[in-house]
Amino acid sequence: MQPVFKRHGTAFLLLLPTLVILIFFLYLPTIQTFIMSLYQVGFLGLSKMFVGVENYQIIFTEPEYRDIMVNTLVFVLGSVSLSMALGLAFAVLANEKVTGARYYRLLLIWPYALPPAVAGVIFLFLFSAQVGIINYFLGLIFGITPDWLADPELAMTVVILSTVWKNVGYNVVFYLAALQNLPGDVLEAATIDGATGWQRFWRITFPLLSPMTFFLLIMNTIAAFFDVFAFIDLITKGGPSNGTTVFIYAIYRDGFEYFKSGLAAAQSVFLFLLVVVLTVLKFRLQKKVHYAN
Amino acid sequence: MKRFVVALFAVLIMATPALAEKTKVSFWHAMGGDRITLIKEMCDDFNKAHPDIEVTPEYKGSYRDTLNASILAFKQGKAPNIVHIFEVGSQLAVDAGIFMPFEDTIKPGDDAKLDDFVDGVANYYRIGGKFYSVPFNSSNPVLYYNKTLFKKAGLDPENPPKTFNEVIAASEKLKASGAAPYGITWPLHCWFVEQWMGNQGALLANNENGRAARATDILLDSEPMLKIMTWWKKMYDDKLFVYSGKVEDWDGANNLFISGQAAMLITSTSDITFMQKAAEENHFELGTGFLPVADGSENFGTIVGGASLWMTKGHSDKANDATKDFLLWFTNTANEVRWHKGTGYFPVRKSAVTELEKENWFEKNPAYAAAFKQLMATKPVRSTQGAMLGMFPELRNIVTDAVQSILNGADIKATMKDADARADKALERYNRSVK
Repeated sequence: MQPVFKRHGTAFLLLLPTLVILIFFLYLPTIQTFIMSLYQVGFLGLSKMFVGVENYQIIFTEPEYRDIMVNTLVFVLGSVSLSMALGLAFAVLANEKVTGARYYRLLLIWPYALPPAVAGVIFLFLFSAQVGIINYFLGLIFGITPDWLADPELAMTVVILSTVWKNVGYNVVFYLAALQNLPGDVLEAATIDGATGWQRFWRITFPLLSPMTFFLLIMNTIAAFFDVFAFIDLITKGGPSNGTTVFIYAIYRDGFEYFKSGLAAAQSVFLFLLVVVLTVLKFRLQKKVHYAN
Repeated sequence: MKRFVVALFAVLIMATPALAEKTKVSFWHAMGGDRITLIKEMCDDFNKAHPDIEVTPEYKGSYRDTLNASILAFKQGKAPNIVHIFEVGSQLAVDAGIFMPFEDTIKPGDDAKLDDFVDGVANYYRIGGKFYSVPFNSSNPVLYYNKTLFKKAGLDPENPPKTFNEVIAASEKLKASGAAPYGITWPLHCWFVEQWMGNQGALLANNENGRAARATDILLDSEPMLKIMTWWKKMYDDKLFVYSGKVEDWDGANNLFISGQAAMLITSTSDITFMQKAAEENHFELGTGFLPVADGSENFGTIVGGASLWMTKGHSDKANDATKDFLLWFTNTANEVRWHKGTGYFPVRKSAVTELEKENWFEKNPAYAAAFKQLMATKPVRSTQGAMLGMFPELRNIVTDAVQSILNGADIKATMKDADARADKALERYNRSVK
């Protein structure tokens, strides 16, 4: 291949704006976070004391942070698997040629367009133990009114449901696009060979969708780690008894509410490494994913 | 065109000295909603009366956001002159080292009247005998009750419960009579725990609540604390107490009370104006009473809540003088009366209370009376002075975590012991960073 720019200088010049932005907004803060994680920082940086790996020790040994790790894991696994499975199911249904299919598609995508704050408040009202509509109907039909937000497991369920509801549209859009690009001849051949709809889906459609599934898995996982702040803050504030505190929320709270910037930095580093591992894993596994041509 | 630009510059340059003569005072506060406008109006009035000073108030979000923004601005050398800091941030503000004690700026000729501050308020904001900040918006917790539902349940509408057991008895009656599904609600917030410790005369931290010397031990598993938790849990188990399930959910508690789900509510006096309106709109009669106290304990009164105004370091003497003048004006008798009427926060000066009494304000607005009586009846002991702890925000979360565990069935004593250990560790780490 011929290089587009003969001189490296021109290429570098064109890259410069991006590099400047990356250095100042990404690389430098990342390095600073690493350094900060080795200090006990007071008052957002007014005082500083070197403590070595103490912050990491706290994260890995204190029961509070072990709970947070478990919560994060439960949340990520729960919300990602549910929103991807639902996304795929809805996309397959919305891909059917029925009247008004375009409207169904639009409606499915709608929640994704809502700001997280609005979605959070909607769920807060829905699941209010005393005045929420969910408990109103549960009370009417089954005679039960669970304290959704006061019980750690139920509160986690509500937070997961709300993020799934909000994010499922994203998965629907991408799956729909992938479904519409599937090679029709393969499916047709399978039909002629007498495959049932179920067989066709699991033997042909699903494997053919695997690149998309893979992409969505990564996107959803990253979103689940980083984009849940609004839901947690609005619906549970990390409660009850830290039952819904996930890493991103703990980082915010330690850093900006409790003035423990060093500890927050250590958690950021941990989260950063986690995502690095995930990304590496993605590239390793990607080789096994089937891409058409 | 060129000439025009030159002329414009000339005008600008000439105008600059005139502008520069005004001493600029920036004021960052955390009062949202209607209060933004009220503070703006008050500042405008000050500016009109003092042509050489220009005070610009700016709403910076929550107390926490305001404090964070101020610290960051200070680091960049752009700190506002005045910062509005919540009461439990006081020790943190002292430790941060970016503020100067307000009392040090007062000169002999100033009309400061520092003795005019209401005792309970002065008690809180005097640190080591000195005002580090100017008390501004103050509140304490009161019991609000729905007189209409009280009558329905056959309770005396003029006699609200005063002790823990009386609250249980009243709630049981309200529930049994079908007047309300629940007896009482309050936001699940550590503030109330602090108050119930205070009114039993119990300390929250050693070294006399951190007032005699820096606190080194937090006291979360003391007898008075266990009394509070035992009562709370019983009320929750018997479905007499109700809350939204979310911590620090002030609006959630207000809604439960206004909608008649609960006949009593414990919340801040700063909501009195709001509650009076809500009672009118929802057609019920509102009553207020003292914060209930544990049975068998003398009632020492409540700890002053709210916030105060702090002056930052690093400004010129002229700017500091202007800032001080503004703060004294802003909290003078007339403005205290205005602030109280506009918000419901109680005035922090005795002269303002006298002024309001002269106007028969309390007869016209009986809901305010309980708040005042409670404040005036508060005994100036260490417990009602409130604890000075630099990691208070974290402590509050440790306590609310413990309360929720207890309500969900965990053993009271063991949970509070764990919480105590957690709090002590957090305090130790904090203290290490400021020594």
